[in-house]
Amino acid sequence: MSNKNNQRDSDIQKKIDYEIRMREGACKLLAACSQRDQALEASKSLLTCNARIMAYMSELQRMKEAQVMQRVTRSSSDAGPMDDRSPCKGKVAISDLRIPLMWKDTEYFKNKGELHRCAVFCLLQLGGEIFDTDMVMVDRTLTDICFDNTIVFNEAGPGFELRVELYSCCSEEDYSAGSTPRKLASKLSSSLGRSAGKKMRATMEPGAYSPTSNGGGATILLPVPSVPGPKYHPLAHTTLNLSHVQDSFRTHDLTITGNEECSYWLPLYGSVCCRVAAQPHCMTQQMMSGCLRVKLGGEPQGWTNVYGVLKGTNLFCYHQKEDMEANVEPVLTIGINKETRIRAAEKDTHSKAQNICITNQYGGEEVTHTLTADSREDTQGWMEAFWQQFYDMSQWRQCCDDLMKIELPSPRKPAIVTPKQGSLYHEMVIDTSDDIGRVTDILTRRIEEFELRAQLSAQPHWMSSFEEQPPRTPINHQHHRIVHLPPHSPSPRLHSCQPRSPQCHRTPGILSSNASLTSESESPASASPYFRQAWSHDTSCSSSHIRPRTLSLDAKLSTLRGRGYGGFQCTCQPPSNGSLSPQPTQTALSCSSSTSSNSSSEGSNSQESELGFSRPSSSRRSLRILRAKLDPRNWLQNQV
Amino acid sequence: MSYIPGQPVTAVVQQIEIQKLRDGVNLILGFSIGGGIDQDSSQNPFSEDKSDKGIYVTRVSKGSPAEVAGLRMGDKIMQVNGWDMTMVTHDQARKRLTKKNEDVVRLLVTRKSLEEAVRQSTMQH
Repeated sequence: MSNKNNQRDSDIQKKIDYEIRMREGACKLLAACSQRDQALEASKSLLTCNARIMAYMSELQRMKEAQVMQRVTRSSSDAGPMDDRSPCKGKVAISDLRIPLMWKDTEYFKNKGELHRCAVFCLLQLGGEIFDTDMVMVDRTLTDICFDNTIVFNEAGPGFELRVELYSCCSEEDYSAGSTPRKLASKLSSSLGRSAGKKMRATMEPGAYSPTSNGGGATILLPVPSVPGPKYHPLAHTTLNLSHVQDSFRTHDLTITGNEECSYWLPLYGSVCCRVAAQPHCMTQQMMSGCLRVKLGGEPQGWTNVYGVLKGTNLFCYHQKEDMEANVEPVLTIGINKETRIRAAEKDTHSKAQNICITNQYGGEEVTHTLTADSREDTQGWMEAFWQQFYDMSQWRQCCDDLMKIELPSPRKPAIVTPKQGSLYHEMVIDTSDDIGRVTDILTRRIEEFELRAQLSAQPHWMSSFEEQPPRTPINHQHHRIVHLPPHSPSPRLHSCQPRSPQCHRTPGILSSNASLTSESESPASASPYFRQAWSHDTSCSSSHIRPRTLSLDAKLSTLRGRGYGGFQCTCQPPSNGSLSPQPTQTALSCSSSTSSNSSSEGSNSQESELGFSRPSSSRRSLRILRAKLDPRNWLQNQV
Repeated sequence: MSYIPGQPVTAVVQQIEIQKLRDGVNLILGFSIGGGIDQDSSQNPFSEDKSDKGIYVTRVSKGSPAEVAGLRMGDKIMQVNGWDMTMVTHDQARKRLTKKNEDVVRLLVTRKSLEEAVRQSTMQH
């Protein structure tokens, strides 16, 4: 007994020594490192080491106390009546920790201003085991703090308490001792107002590590080494136990310490989502195995020799032991669960061993299996195992219904420097592998560039039929995918004028761009008289030449490809030598653009002929020229 | 007449001197130009190489000073009064030609037939 205690003592002592060495190393690293990230990591390890040391110390303390108590009361540790039965241990795993944040929308959406960043990590403690997650940098672009680690605690009893603590450290001020100029600069730059002063004070205070209470009070006070460098402060904590264990994600409440004034403050939503799974040993390990004889079939005298294995919720009966090792299907599987009733019955007097009757409900039926062991001791052993199994199941409750999966963290953990965790809002990546999507993008972009340049472009020729000139409204081109349709009164008329193929409606973005394109082009005030003239000049390109749009997106794409991406090319065919009036386009990208390009080329034609010998008023001419110049679809010609 | 970036452009040119005709307050030359680095050169009907963004003569009015001086439709203007016209915008080109204080413009133009002629003559030797 004392040997075991001594063994355990020395184990813990070894662990304490190890942690102390780690702590020294972390202190040295902290003092030596210059990079911010290194300092944060070292500080985190320091905190973890300290926590572990505290935990081991308190465990040592408890053990010593227990020894003293034992010596006094002399209670037996053998398993007697069921009250003294101790449940089996199990593995508890916590994974996929996610802590949502609740930024104020003003905070979240502002683009300028320094990014207030905090380094956070979670400390998880169960029994004597303490683990920390990786460190995550959090700033206002994140909506949640996510920890990808899976932490597995190996020896947990059903009454476990898993304490989750969130530590955070403000990552703005410079903590390294040696960079006085920078510290000075930061001090001078930040106005020493109320908030800055508070921050200073917060960083000045000695690092407050959360004293890990482990049931028994930690009465041993370790001298906390004060090291320069970033200090983590506890931000929130929660405790999870068996009732929180489930095979899926659940949300738990967090208790938040700290307030807005702290430098390490983060606006937590107040809950944490995670998956806590437990695998009690009774589900994963063989609790009992041995030779049995089972009555199979209906024969009262037929006993079959089997090798029985009690594992999880089943008693597997194999022909031979080797079968079990070879993973052959068992001959018989008897369910052992909460509904099972096991009874030891007295056999007839001439046999030594007792019978074990296992009764299960399958469907509405009651099925009873009768087993017997070779000797009385064996029977006793089996009964004992069954009782233990029942007890474990009652203790581990929902964990024994089904085996929960625990993914062990792969031992080869690549040192991933996680890139800035994108938030939901910033990672709306539309899959660009989709061709149609890309095409639509390109089209939309091109159309928007079109619009931009065609703000002063020539009016389509049929616009001359409209008398009124609505005021020009600028198109907002800030957002790629948002196309603003300027509120023009003639736009409904626009629509009715142009033949619209149903194709248009598939790409609504483009449609509206078209509409705005044309409505923009109708706005210049002094254009109409000129274009009426232009139109009257040229009879060849009339509205009847508007080609019906039968286009698929592919055709549009080929149009675009033909036009090239570099600049803008009019879809007009190059006119034959000697003739300068462009032919109506073969592939019309859009009705409006073809017509306007037609007319604008005509415009320049007629412009040129007009300007040849009789110059119109200079203002009209300059406007015309300006418009013609800005339209890249033209190949301008000028009379000199 | 294609141009290789970084390499000097060489061409066989003809000098054409045009006397501007005064028409009231305006000075006219009597031809139209097209092209420019800001223009879509693929629509140029006269250029051999559709990526040529030079200034081309697109029309010459009958009886105009330009026609008299020997300018022909399809000529590419290389220089105007010493100013380069191979890498200019359309508007810059127009301005260089229509300076109010200049009565005469001396153009250096090139055309396919000139190249042919020179090649012919060199081949003969």
